[in-house]
Amino acid sequence: MTAAWNKVRVLFGAQFALMAEYRAEVVIWMLSGTLSLVMMLVWMAQAAAAPGGQIRGYTSADFATYFLSTWLVSQLLVVWVAWELDFEIRQGLLSPKLLRPLDPMWQHYLGHVSERFVRFVPMLGLVALFAWLSGARFTGEWWAYPVTLGLCVLGFSARFLWEYTIGLLAFWTESSTSFQEIVWLVYAALGGMFAPLAFYPEWVQRIAVWTPFPYMLGLPAQLLAGKATLAQAGQGALVMLGWLVVFWCLRLLVWRSGLRKYGAVGA
Amino acid sequence: MTRYLRLVRIFTGATISAQLEYRANFVGAVLASLGEVGVALLGIGVVFGQPGTTTVGGWTFREALLVTGFFMLTEGFISVFIQPNMSKIAEAIRTGSMDFTLLKPIDAQFNVSTRHLNVMRLPDILIGLGLIAYAAAGLTVTPGGVLSALLLYASALVIVYCIWLGLSTTAFWFVKTQNVTELFNGVFGAARFPATAFPVPVRFVLTFVVPVAFVTTVPAQAMTGRLTPTLALASPLVAAALFALTRWFWRRAVASYTSASS
Repeated sequence: MTAAWNKVRVLFGAQFALMAEYRAEVVIWMLSGTLSLVMMLVWMAQAAAAPGGQIRGYTSADFATYFLSTWLVSQLLVVWVAWELDFEIRQGLLSPKLLRPLDPMWQHYLGHVSERFVRFVPMLGLVALFAWLSGARFTGEWWAYPVTLGLCVLGFSARFLWEYTIGLLAFWTESSTSFQEIVWLVYAALGGMFAPLAFYPEWVQRIAVWTPFPYMLGLPAQLLAGKATLAQAGQGALVMLGWLVVFWCLRLLVWRSGLRKYGAVGA
Repeated sequence: MTRYLRLVRIFTGATISAQLEYRANFVGAVLASLGEVGVALLGIGVVFGQPGTTTVGGWTFREALLVTGFFMLTEGFISVFIQPNMSKIAEAIRTGSMDFTLLKPIDAQFNVSTRHLNVMRLPDILIGLGLIAYAAAGLTVTPGGVLSALLLYASALVIVYCIWLGLSTTAFWFVKTQNVTELFNGVFGAARFPATAFPVPVRFVLTFVVPVAFVTTVPAQAMTGRLTPTLALASPLVAAALFALTRWFWRRAVASYTSASS
């Protein structure tokens, strides 16, 4: 146990130092993920122009709160491991990592986690600024915040695992990062980055509740906006745990067969 | 002039034959194009899908689709013509190969701007043209409207090129510029909607600070025949001013260049 804890501590420390080097870039990356913010502005203008000042019960301020929350949550869910794997596999950088008594996945995982800590403070500053500019108001219930954080941890882990699996496709194909773009589209659409899920056609919603996506992005955002209950959060967490198991097994399967293919070409 | 045209032909031939070596990449590029158009269409689809919504910022669905078409077309133009070249400027400065470019007996700005192409992203351009044609088919479009849209879109492309070149030229001092262009992509994402779909202060920023409104909204306005003369004049003027500015900036940057080793 202490051996495992030591590995985590050392890896985290090293990765945190690495990420802190990129702190200026981290702020730029945060600002370049603007889709939520663009959608926020469009919906706010739509609500302001609509008769009664609201669309499906959402006023301009409600939209601001929802989309700013999805922006915040999506910042915590950012994963770029597919790019790194693609590079490592193609350049053969994976080989020395295979000699370590540790699955290379954990280094990437802790790298992402430590980046969240670098990101956190400027992120809160930006959210406060945007909230002040747009008139967003977050919930006053204290329990919503730890529950949101918990859902974000689950959501991030799920996303990390599927992105890792896609990245591993680099063992076979050169276009693994393009698969990632398509999967990102499904995640953004069903997660609720374009609109709250209730705004989608009925049949899309019925499919979406079986996927992990609405619970990763939309549900935490609704919690922060004070529009979701604890029971809904629990249900979402259960669905995501189920998907985590699925993604975990899938990752392991692709990793093992990919490694055989990697070894077979003599790399 | 004919010399430069011949050079463009040679550059194009060389870069296409280099890219056709990697045929498997084509699948990936098509997937990425589909992803891009999916994001663009979902964005406006969901907004118009609400009961009672007939216009966004005073634009009907067809008209907004026209803007999306121009957005995809510009995305395609950027990924085929602009990005492959501009991303190499920083690399050339870091490795010192910019020396060779500057020593060649042709204009260095012309060389760095036309040397590479990414033919894999041509589907983006086709998708954009398809969307524009589809949207225009359901609108009343006059030949004069199409002509002025063409002219205004030409200045839109100049604006986009100048912004990218200006950002990439900063590499002469900062060496690393990839992140700045990333930031431009983020702001440019707003161009998928008509500028009037945004609250007034944001509209102002998108027109005067980062002039992306000229890139997609103005040509679409010209096509539907509701362009104001002020905007029609402003677009080429902004393009000309930006071009002069980036040209000056480029010359200054080259003058201060001291190669990688010295």
